[in-house]
Amino acid sequence: MITADAIEATEFMDLSRKYRVTGVPKTIVNETIEILGGLPEQDFVRAALDLPETNP
Amino acid sequence: MGLLSPQDEATLRQHLSAISKPVQLLLFTQTFGGSESGQVAKQILDEIASLNDKITVVEKNFVLDTEDKTKFKIDKAPAIVILSNDVDTRMRMYGAPTGYEFVGLVEAILVAGTGNIDLEPETMAWIQAVTTPTHIQVFSTPT
Repeated sequence: MITADAIEATEFMDLSRKYRVTGVPKTIVNETIEILGGLPEQDFVRAALDLPETNP
Repeated sequence: MGLLSPQDEATLRQHLSAISKPVQLLLFTQTFGGSESGQVAKQILDEIASLNDKITVVEKNFVLDTEDKTKFKIDKAPAIVILSNDVDTRMRMYGAPTGYEFVGLVEAILVAGTGNIDLEPETMAWIQAVTTPTHIQVFSTPT
């Protein structure tokens, strides 16, 4: 169900502009969720999968 | 001359020795109108593959190999598709895997080749519960 792309931001400037990548790492999930910077594992997965703050 | 120093090669060879399943790296490059990063990516993948005989590199033409391009949903080049024993891991890298990206590539190869995913059990459960198509794009730079 999950596809993960690692994109070199300077190589694909059009995409970087499209997603307003002003700092890295920047993560975009399903065109809707934006995560800027690195997060601890569980915080990142919660944010990426749009899980509630408490138990999912 | 190789991109990796003899010392880096030795360290990397040791890391890659954990691999038990064949790993195929499909590299989509564009010969005409493409950037030089395709050639850099090819050299990096070839050097990694030379360190472990379970890793193979298969070069695809971004313009001509339309069937594979469609199959793996590749819309830009250079692109690296990582297969584990011919099964798509759904991990992709776009651009030359240099700098920090290189670490990510090696980690992805290790996941594909060992099946070991270094995540907390709780996090794994959340991920396994996903039932809708989820496309994660992480932008980074080599430095």
